[in-house]
Amino acid sequence: MSSIEGMFKALEAGSKHVLIKRFTLFYPEQKLKFVGDGYQFDPKEGVGIAGYRGRHILFHDKCTGCQLCSIMCEGIAEAISMVKIDKEYKQNKKGIMPQIDYGKCVFCGLCVDACPFYALFMTDDYELSAYTKEHLIYTPDQLSIKPNYKGEYVIDINEFGATHKKDIK
Amino acid sequence: MSDIERLNSMLPNSLSVEESREKGILTLSVGPQHPGSGHFRLIIKVDGDIIVDAEPDPGYVHRGEEKMCEYRNFMQNIPHLERPVIADSCSILYPYCLAIEELLNIEAPRRAKFIRVIMSEINKMIFELYWLGIYGIFLGHSTMFMWPMADRELLIDLAELASGARVTHAYFVPGGVRNDLPDIFKDRAVRQLKYFRNRLNEYSKVFYENPLFIDRTKGVGILSREDAINLGVTGPVLRGSNVPYDIRKVEPYDVYDELNFDVKYMKDGDCFARAYVPYLEMYESVDLILQALEKMPDGPVRAKLPPNPKGKVGEVFKRVEAGRGELAYYVISDGTQKPYRVKLSVPSFRAIPAMRKLLIGARLADMPAIYWGLNYWPVEADR
Ligand code: SF4
Ligand code: SF4
Repeated sequence: MSSIEGMFKALEAGSKHVLIKRFTLFYPEQKLKFVGDGYQFDPKEGVGIAGYRGRHILFHDKCTGCQLCSIMCEGIAEAISMVKIDKEYKQNKKGIMPQIDYGKCVFCGLCVDACPFYALFMTDDYELSAYTKEHLIYTPDQLSIKPNYKGEYVIDINEFGATHKKDIK
Repeated sequence: MSDIERLNSMLPNSLSVEESREKGILTLSVGPQHPGSGHFRLIIKVDGDIIVDAEPDPGYVHRGEEKMCEYRNFMQNIPHLERPVIADSCSILYPYCLAIEELLNIEAPRRAKFIRVIMSEINKMIFELYWLGIYGIFLGHSTMFMWPMADRELLIDLAELASGARVTHAYFVPGGVRNDLPDIFKDRAVRQLKYFRNRLNEYSKVFYENPLFIDRTKGVGILSREDAINLGVTGPVLRGSNVPYDIRKVEPYDVYDELNFDVKYMKDGDCFARAYVPYLEMYESVDLILQALEKMPDGPVRAKLPPNPKGKVGEVFKRVEAGRGELAYYVISDGTQKPYRVKLSVPSFRAIPAMRKLLIGARLADMPAIYWGLNYWPVEADR
């Protein structure tokens, strides 16, 4: 094949894309939709439930302060430290709960696998930027708040190409 | 003759300082501040624009992965072991899981084996697209940088759907996988992979049949069959030199022996062949995933394990075919909860002797083509 022919072939294949919708996702205005409510783990079955692995959520009424999550993370990122809480819960005699430093966390979710009381899950929230390192440390109270991440866009594939569209449901 | 002596005898001798001064030879240091080489330094000596000596200098991003393994239990090792190649994080964890499964005397459920094949093939494509994009931009072809990066996004979304993370999946564990695939996975995977196969046809028109690319790579950096075998390269580099050798066929693990696929290889051994083999393999990966999705049975995906299991006393060697070549783990256990010794044998490290061999005698302008053609990943080589 001659060089000229190859050039034209490349130009032809490339120029077709002028007419095709772009694949770019306009991020802060458009956000991707994830499956489920974030990664969760079922200790009875010993298997996880698919979902995005973003920031954690801690259920205060279930956490017993057993420290298993923190022991697991010790060998991974040392992101979890157990801190005293003000309120009293009857299942939590020691009065301690995990506090997570997102400057260290690698979002592996193995602490969720380690928790035997359905107290620690993960959520869809990945927008965790902060101005200082201290703001990246989430106390048990902050961790208990349910994030309001709203992802609405899904990948749309048709014969013309791939793009994103709003999920209508 | 020892192995080291044999390896040295195959490579040309280094020049001494006096010799280079006499001949007017210039020494250049390429890297390690990521001038396209990754965090890796190449000391090259040039006479005009011909490279007369090249000395790869790895070790800049050594993290002590192997030593770190000795202080963590079998589960805690998972997140840090995938750091060396985040673009191919399932494949680098795969042999570790196979090895620990043997030490713990468990077997992954059948469905988990299929899921592992699917995820490792998706990851292989993610890696190959990333590599292709960078190869494109270093040959001055920016379309070939944009296209694979955009299509890679589709595959990353697919991997994220299954594992919940975009790059460092931490999805494989000893005993299977962390979670089952969501219901919508199969439908979306089939749709996206069919689209991706059409895109691969377009890549050929824009890249592999493009005279710009052909002129830069055809006949450049030829690695003969004998040299490829003796220097110990693996993966696409080996297959580009006319050696149809693939761990998935030679030593099938999990369910690869139940799936149909060919080992793709090329005869020429030049940069073009090394770039074309991964491209052909992406077609194979798409087929493999579609087959596995069809054949996948229902059932559990993770074998039950106690929280902090103890391994039996013994040694295991396991290897898999990753995006860059053969990835092997050698694990010794002394019966405690932590491995006694973990040795990683990575494909990038084994490409270093071939890199020196190929660079000597080449033109300086061909250096990016040769370097990237070897599929070298500095962080993985340094571990
Ligand atoms: S996700 Fe991983 S790194 Fe983050 S707190 Fe949990 S165990 Fe530690
Ligand atoms: S979150 Fe779970 S593992 Fe961590 S202290 Fe509470 S109950 Fe224990």
